[in-house]
Amino acid sequence: MMIEYKHNLRRMRGQIIGWGVGIALYGLMMVSLYDTINRIEGLQQLIDSYPPEFMAFFGGMTDLSSPQGYLDTYFFSYMTLIIGIFVVGAGGGLLAADEERGILDLVLAHPLSRAGLFAGRFLSMVTAIVLVLLLGWLSWAVPGGSTTLGLSWLQYLRPFLPLLAQLLVFGCLALFLSMVLPASRIAGMLSGALLFANFLLLGLAKLNDKLEPVVKLTPMYYYEGGKAINQINWGWSAGLLLAALALTVGAWVLFKGRDIRVAGERSWRIPGLRGRSERSARADRQAG
Amino acid sequence: MSDSIALMTEGLHKSYGRVVALRGVDLEVRQGEIFGFLGPNGAGKTTTIRCLLDLIRPDSGTLRVLGMDPQADPVGVRARTGYLPGELNLDANLRVREVLRYFSQLRGAKMDWSQVPRLAQRLDLDLETPVKNLSKGNKQKVGVVQALMPQADLLLLDEPTSGLDPLMQQQVHRMLREACAGGATVFFSSHIISEVEALAEHVAIIRDGRIVEVAEPGRLVAMTLRRLHIRFQQPVDVAPLARIEGVSLVGAADRNGMHVTVQVEGEVDRLIKALAAFPVRDLETEHPSLEEVFLAYYQTGKAAGQEDH
Repeated sequence: MMIEYKHNLRRMRGQIIGWGVGIALYGLMMVSLYDTINRIEGLQQLIDSYPPEFMAFFGGMTDLSSPQGYLDTYFFSYMTLIIGIFVVGAGGGLLAADEERGILDLVLAHPLSRAGLFAGRFLSMVTAIVLVLLLGWLSWAVPGGSTTLGLSWLQYLRPFLPLLAQLLVFGCLALFLSMVLPASRIAGMLSGALLFANFLLLGLAKLNDKLEPVVKLTPMYYYEGGKAINQINWGWSAGLLLAALALTVGAWVLFKGRDIRVAGERSWRIPGLRGRSERSARADRQAG
Repeated sequence: MSDSIALMTEGLHKSYGRVVALRGVDLEVRQGEIFGFLGPNGAGKTTTIRCLLDLIRPDSGTLRVLGMDPQADPVGVRARTGYLPGELNLDANLRVREVLRYFSQLRGAKMDWSQVPRLAQRLDLDLETPVKNLSKGNKQKVGVVQALMPQADLLLLDEPTSGLDPLMQQQVHRMLREACAGGATVFFSSHIISEVEALAEHVAIIRDGRIVEVAEPGRLVAMTLRRLHIRFQQPVDVAPLARIEGVSLVGAADRNGMHVTVQVEGEVDRLIKALAAFPVRDLETEHPSLEEVFLAYYQTGKAAGQEDH
């Protein structure tokens, strides 16, 4: 399991560095702009004049003068969406992408159990997400002391924990869907669409109370964003982690019992949606 | 199961949805032998091999590999088995050395890395080349090296020489014979009769998911089917050629008897001797597909006839 863990983490290093450095640079930029933004006269009045329909999608915190409001508006309110793109890609492709490429066939012909492979890869995905978030946290916590934000490293860390739980839900959803749907790309795309839809629904629910019961059934409702700087709702985070665990167990059960596919093989087809590459691959196989 | 049996399947059935891949495969391979598994594309060769490694699960039937049930102890089976898939795919972002190092690490402390450079050298394989830059043939060499490097008790090889040039094919054949001489059992699939004939001690022929024959490789000679395109220097009467046993004309001679295509079943010796009397300009040999060979062989009832011998 540890060999697979290390191997997969190494394969993900490019993504970890790319996403982590990107998030960190953005964090550094925002932390360095805090004092400047706070000094801009009339900014708060400008924000207050924005229509509520617009502000609903930025976490609903409009007090930019407070560290919580600043971090929530400029970072945490949409980081689920941004880092979520990486996470659903990683989750959807964790096993199914290599299976579709025919790589898993040979890997599993070695003395490595399916449980070992699954656990090793899953842990590498979790580690990759944690490392990306760690770089994001460092970008706030290290230079934060030299600004008037006035938060401790622990206060910077707190909102990253619910963000991690949130990302794990969507990463594990993509992993689960990759075991159900015919292709890893479809799993990634569907998870990404659900992530985006959840973000939109959350914003709309702030404008329309009738959507409240629906949005309560979605993971993002239980995301605290910058509000977690002072106190984490551990119940919400635990609930999200349990949901991620349930999806992981579901994915494991499906992976354990399935036939490992060879290159170009799909588990099932959506009628009428047969792609060109699949048709040509089939033609090649027939010709061969 | 006897200790001398390396691999056994009994009544193996496997379907992919409505497509039936295996319809009751019975096989028995003795330890220390080279066993050929011959069949046309889609006959069930790959499915059988993948069942043996628990990569796919049969619908019914019994499997034993080195005395173990692959479904009950897949890691135990794989620890003693080297495998080469029919369609080899490797992580394109790694170098050959990194791929092989990863596979050796998966095998744990037992793996002797010193084997790897030696095997790579014999196959003229550069370990520092990125996988994405490898040709199909060179990729196949990586597959052969990773299958042979653990010096496993059993080698399951799905078309091991696919994509290799004739010289490399010969090299791989030598390496497999050496592995066998070292005590390993080699089970390899192929759709090339001549390869199975040259390498295997026993052959199982699979067609449409059923084993249709288990034979000595010598029996395969009778199944050999060739098409010869013969060009003459001047117009000739090709009728005497058609009278040779096992030889039939394919279509009529064209260009006023200057060119003829004949089909030869079995040995080609009689035809070659007869052609000595003709002014031959050129001779081209074509091997029809295995499916065509099987059709010719089984539809003429020769299989039944030979069973009586």
